[in-house]
Amino acid sequence: MPWLSGFRSGAFRFALLLALAFAASAAFLLIVVERSISQYAAAATDGGLRSEAAILQGEDREGGRSNLLRAIALHRRAGGEEAFRYQLTDSTGHLLVNDMGTNAARIGWGSVAVRDDPQEPGANVETLKSLGVFLPDGGVLVVATDTYDIQELRSRLDRFTVMAGVGITLFALIGGYLLGALFMRRLDRVNDAIGRVMAGNVAERLPRIGISREFDLLSSNLNAMLDRIGALMDGLRQVTTDIAHDLRTPLSRLRQQLEATREARDAERYEMSIESAIEQTDEILAIFRALLRIGTLEGGDGRQYFATLDLSDLLGRVTTAHQPVAEDEGKLLIADHEAGLLVDGDAELLAQMMTNLIDNAIRHTPAGSRIVSKLERMDDRIVASISDDGPGIPAEERANVLTRFYRLDRSRNLPGAGLGMSLAAAIAALHRARLELLDNCPGLRVRLTFSRSALTLGRPVSQAG
Amino acid sequence: MKLLLLEDDDATRTHLERTLAAAGYVVDVCSNGRDAIFLGSSSEYAVLILDRMVPGVDGLGVLKALRAAGVRSPALFLTAIDGVHDRVEGLDAGADDYLVKPFASIEFIARVNALSRRQPANDVVTVLRVADLEVDLIKRSVRRAGRQILLQAQEFKLLEYLMRHAGEVVTRSMLLENVWSFHFDPQTNIIESHMSRLRSKVDRGFNLELIRTIRGSGYSLDALA
Repeated sequence: MPWLSGFRSGAFRFALLLALAFAASAAFLLIVVERSISQYAAAATDGGLRSEAAILQGEDREGGRSNLLRAIALHRRAGGEEAFRYQLTDSTGHLLVNDMGTNAARIGWGSVAVRDDPQEPGANVETLKSLGVFLPDGGVLVVATDTYDIQELRSRLDRFTVMAGVGITLFALIGGYLLGALFMRRLDRVNDAIGRVMAGNVAERLPRIGISREFDLLSSNLNAMLDRIGALMDGLRQVTTDIAHDLRTPLSRLRQQLEATREARDAERYEMSIESAIEQTDEILAIFRALLRIGTLEGGDGRQYFATLDLSDLLGRVTTAHQPVAEDEGKLLIADHEAGLLVDGDAELLAQMMTNLIDNAIRHTPAGSRIVSKLERMDDRIVASISDDGPGIPAEERANVLTRFYRLDRSRNLPGAGLGMSLAAAIAALHRARLELLDNCPGLRVRLTFSRSALTLGRPVSQAG
Repeated sequence: MKLLLLEDDDATRTHLERTLAAAGYVVDVCSNGRDAIFLGSSSEYAVLILDRMVPGVDGLGVLKALRAAGVRSPALFLTAIDGVHDRVEGLDAGADDYLVKPFASIEFIARVNALSRRQPANDVVTVLRVADLEVDLIKRSVRRAGRQILLQAQEFKLLEYLMRHAGEVVTRSMLLENVWSFHFDPQTNIIESHMSRLRSKVDRGFNLELIRTIRGSGYSLDALA
């Protein structure tokens, strides 16, 4: 039932709650107002009666009974419709004035029921408020007035209270329904989109929710999450494909080796053959391990363990370890490192990356080459570079060498699986460092630029704003 | 020497047990964490060999429990997880070494040997001696047959490690991890280059070659002819 959607929503429930609170507080407010107005009106009536009785008592005391009667007549005439009603009884119990048509009047505060018009038997009966006082000669004067205005005021206030309460509640309910329906409509679109994503359409993105900035931020964050998940899935798919395709060659080679082993005629050849099969297995495992590592690094795993480390120190260790290697190959490895440069990162991964880059430089240059490892600060960036004066990489090949298993034609005969550079690239990306392959004229220069943000990577970065 | 082996995979356990027995060790085996904690705390073992991932209480939990109970035997973690931080986590839990599966039997035995012959930590050694070779760890000086040998810092570290494990086989990866703190395999010949320099300084001109290459596995420093 689509029209029910407004009621289902949290916004409507919230509105309902708000309406109840509104109605309760409005009722409370109106009751307080009604009470105090009624009390004020009643007090005014009482004051009127009291002063009228006092004035007439005075008239009686000063001018005697005739003066009192005259005053009553005068007041009655002056009051007109709104006039007080009077009842005067002398000391003998004789009624001298009676506007009330009843004898029920008494001393002090009281109420009497009288007809509108004492002369007409069928007139409306109304209740008057009365005040009875003694006169000096023992007579009794009762002054009474109708409370019709007070009652009228009261009933109007009551009606207003009820109507206002009902109105406010209805208003809040309708508003809540409309707002809830609006929410539901917008969220239904988002839920439909999520449903499509779950059904397998991973390229689907959520629409803007609208309503307010917070909701748009929510949907854009959810979209960012979907992007990230998509990238991770792509990476995983890539790794799976790589494993399926690129392990096939070494595995077939291993299989051939094992078949040849089966045919081996003497113990020595048999042993050699087994030895070679184990070596090939180890190579396959190394490729497997490197692929897995690249895969997890590309997934961004490990950034949570970053710590501030001395890159100068780390690079120093790596170059020192490789200097004898370069020397044995007839090459020169020169370290030119500015001291004390700090970055946020993973020491082991950075060491592996720098080792891979230096390994590459040593292996892919002819004897007599000069390899320079340079580390320096440039403005707010830290730049590490490994340059050589060897054959370099043609410009059109540079992007390719960063992909998995890619090997330049001239280095196919060298050991390695073509994973070193892609692992280095993955480690650089994890550290948000830019990895560039440049022309060293002659030779290759691999430049790594750690931006300032690399210094704060370990800490969560707020996405707000 | 008695070892404790926790491994849930039957084939691997049998293989490791056989490998250890061939190397002259007595092995108590178990396939779940609770048994390992029981055995480890009721009897004294030279080395604890724990598979990181076993059902129930895993290797990490076993080691934490045993360390909490005061068991000080060195521990070797075996694991199929090769993340950088899994190793750190294992070492933090009190492991002394960490070996990623699959591994060569020779690598496994070399590491068990290194752990089982390890000197207690409070036994402070300042001078290492093998035959006529003498390494003074405080002065950082090396003498052979009374003659001073000058070594570079990394060569010294390499020699120190070999001397500390004199008579044992040390593998390439043990050297990479302990001398260079490289927990990955560089494609280049870091070890070979350093080793040939060290050898030329320590062994050249002497009748007895102390540093031997063990084919297919690593190196050994000993006074055997």
